[in-house]
Amino acid sequence: MKHLKTLLALVFVAAFVLSACGGPAATETAPAEVGTIPEVTEAPTEAAAPASGGTVIIGTPQEPGMMNTLLTSAAIEDAVVSLFDEGLVSVNEKGEYVPVLAKELPTVSEDGLVVTWLLKEGVKWSDGSDFTCDDVKFTMEGALSDLSQVSASGYRDIESLDCPDPYTVVATFGEVYAPYLRLFSYTVPDTAGAMEDMESWDINRNPVGTGPFILSEWVPGDHLTFTKNPYYREEGKPNLDSVIIKILPSREVGMQLLGTGEIHALWDLTEANFPELEALKDQGVSFVSTVTGENELLSLNLGNNGGSAPADPSTNPHPILFDLKVRQAIQYAIDKQTIVDTLLYGNVKPGTSAVPVGTFACEQPVSEFSVEKANALLDEAGWTMGADGIREKDGVRMSLKIVTTTGNQLREQTEQVLAEMLKTVGIELVIENVPSDVLFAGWESDGMRDHGTYDIVMYTTGPSTDPDSHLYSSFHSSEIPTADNEGTGANFSRYINADVDTWLDEASTITDLARRKELYCNVVTQVNADLPRIYLYERLSIVGHRNEFQGLKISPTFVDFAWDAANWTLQQP
Amino acid sequence: MTIYFTRRILQSIFTLLVISMILYGLISSVPGGFMSVYIERADYTPEDIARIRAKFGLDDPIPVRYAKWLGNMLQGDWGNSLITKRPALEEIADRLPNTLLLMSIMLVATLLVAIPLGILSAVKQYTWFDHISTTLAFAGQSLPVFWFGLLLIIIFAVTLKGADGKPLLPGSGMYTLGADFSIADRIKHLILPVSMLTFVSAAGYMRYLRSSMLDVINEDYVRTARAKGAGERLVIYKHALRNAIIPLVTLVALDLPSLFGGALFTETIFAWPGVGRLYFNAALKTDYPLVMAVLMIESALIIGSNLLVDFIYAALDPRIRLS
Repeated sequence: MKHLKTLLALVFVAAFVLSACGGPAATETAPAEVGTIPEVTEAPTEAAAPASGGTVIIGTPQEPGMMNTLLTSAAIEDAVVSLFDEGLVSVNEKGEYVPVLAKELPTVSEDGLVVTWLLKEGVKWSDGSDFTCDDVKFTMEGALSDLSQVSASGYRDIESLDCPDPYTVVATFGEVYAPYLRLFSYTVPDTAGAMEDMESWDINRNPVGTGPFILSEWVPGDHLTFTKNPYYREEGKPNLDSVIIKILPSREVGMQLLGTGEIHALWDLTEANFPELEALKDQGVSFVSTVTGENELLSLNLGNNGGSAPADPSTNPHPILFDLKVRQAIQYAIDKQTIVDTLLYGNVKPGTSAVPVGTFACEQPVSEFSVEKANALLDEAGWTMGADGIREKDGVRMSLKIVTTTGNQLREQTEQVLAEMLKTVGIELVIENVPSDVLFAGWESDGMRDHGTYDIVMYTTGPSTDPDSHLYSSFHSSEIPTADNEGTGANFSRYINADVDTWLDEASTITDLARRKELYCNVVTQVNADLPRIYLYERLSIVGHRNEFQGLKISPTFVDFAWDAANWTLQQP
Repeated sequence: MTIYFTRRILQSIFTLLVISMILYGLISSVPGGFMSVYIERADYTPEDIARIRAKFGLDDPIPVRYAKWLGNMLQGDWGNSLITKRPALEEIADRLPNTLLLMSIMLVATLLVAIPLGILSAVKQYTWFDHISTTLAFAGQSLPVFWFGLLLIIIFAVTLKGADGKPLLPGSGMYTLGADFSIADRIKHLILPVSMLTFVSAAGYMRYLRSSMLDVINEDYVRTARAKGAGERLVIYKHALRNAIIPLVTLVALDLPSLFGGALFTETIFAWPGVGRLYFNAALKTDYPLVMAVLMIESALIIGSNLLVDFIYAALDPRIRLS
């Protein structure tokens, strides 16, 4: 008994002492900045900057693991990194490329193989060294290193990257890589260290950047504090003194904290949070959103759903969905506007196109809702109404399974609404959901999308800023997952159209923007006619924030979450 | 004696080895796994995926990976977290003080609540006090922690407001962001998680002590003490409690390893930056080295404390080591 008491007392004392120095000890690394954080800075007397200073706390349910872009994997890491890491270009809130560390967008040679950048002069890293062409070269070498965890596509096509002078970058491609701008959207300083030591670089946790803020404190599992970068190129910017990234247990808790004002913004909400955001309105909470270019969609399986994974669905077609008329009838039977208005509070647009926003946007009309046309098409296709209100043909009952990820209330509600809508035209929709890792499993884990063991799958996808890889992998016939290609590609519908293949092949080898746009639009239009996919509604990036936190403009690519952080402001209450 | 000890130690090492094998096998067979983040992204080509797989050594069959991992671990290299690239042990060491703080305060609070309640409800068996505390104990044992925690947050950190119009208690974290360290602030952040943990774990200890007290109170030597004319307080606290508490001490000793692992749900709900939450996040991202490190340390501690209890028993009671 005595021993136990002593032991407990010891453990208790030790824990208290340890944790007392554990947590706040980290604050000692940057005492000056951190000390000023809790105090609301006085409104400056000069009239020039009415809302300068202050600390914004941004909550996120995930913790970044790493501050080195070459080694990150999660979206939250890219978002946080964008507070200090800049590229030659960034993507603004409209989804357009804008120059950041470059003076302007690059010039491209006639044949599309030579890309020339002019860099801004006088830009300094947060450690005081100069930003030059060498850093751009180093970044490319990093991306190509065996240790890198970024996609090497595109970088692989660069034959040489030359620095004729410190502020000119000449990239020569071996073959045309259409989305070349993407390759220059981040930079790593060439002072980081030897390439083979990438995993232990100091900048992995003590980053060096050219952006408005720089990391001054990182308490694992709790928060990261970013303070002004003293070398930031714009005089008087950023407006804020500091930005704190607070790690939260969940979005639900984050919502509560947003309402009580403990945090100023909550990163990465979804359409499912609209009811809560609505309820927090009178507590000073609103949200900014931007279309991501992604759609919530139905992928219809044209091939047999028995797991044979045919490379050509016509050899082994789906008994119901292979018929174009059936797919058209399904789209006619779905009232997208009602889904948007009732389930999404009218905050999003109905889905229309595989490429709805950005430089390559291809506008398409909202599909028509008409029960009559749906019924007429199904009659025409030979599906006759059975006794139980479900159509039949040659002994096949018109019953389809829809699958999506479990635990997503919005998706479950959407499925129920869809089932109601399709029932009115005599199609039965059976809901069978699975966890996301099962739904999205790869070929070797018997993934249902790869092997085609589904009728209809509902999920979200879309192009990043450049639609090239998205359209190619979704609709090119060579991207149908089969045993031969070990399940690569995202053409889960097993869609084949020779014109689409030709257009996609041409588009990926040219850099003429106007021509590429035309080709992509051809693809989008053809896909909407053939309907391997039905677009339900456009997905949004949503960030909830308190009204006093202003200037938050989010980019459709979450990678560039903080692209305009220098202009964020906090109104003092 | 030496033979018994040697045998038990060897048994424990073998058990640990089997545990590590099972854990490694299970974690490596999780569908999706670490690579799923990359596989889902359109901009990663098959070559990229293959390169990253190779980088993390995921191409080898699971037994080979296990053998490598075991070999490294025995040489003191527990591997780096796949996400943060820092040594797994360093990651754990960062969070350990926070967990020890929370869990040790919880243990003290639990004993302070459980022991008096256990004694009282045994002494006053079948009174209203006994009924109420037994009912509460059942409630404490049955409440799902994740639900109860959210309830506490909604009541004390959202609905109820203090004099300054701010929430009565902080609902997450270990300290107020940006504020200087103060004991008062730390205590405020401890109140909710400690209360919840105490309520849940005091229930078990209390019921244990109650039944053990009831056994002892009916023993002959307690009656003898009463017959000698000892006062009721003396009988209860000196003669009865001293004997009744021995099994509880064993129980507490066996529970001590959980001080390391922390409280997974509590730390996650209250955003407490401890080992439990670290483990939870690592498991979500299938960060194999980190998950294995936490599980192996926890297993070793549990097996170690069982071994220790066995040795103490054997030292005290010759029958055990001879049989």
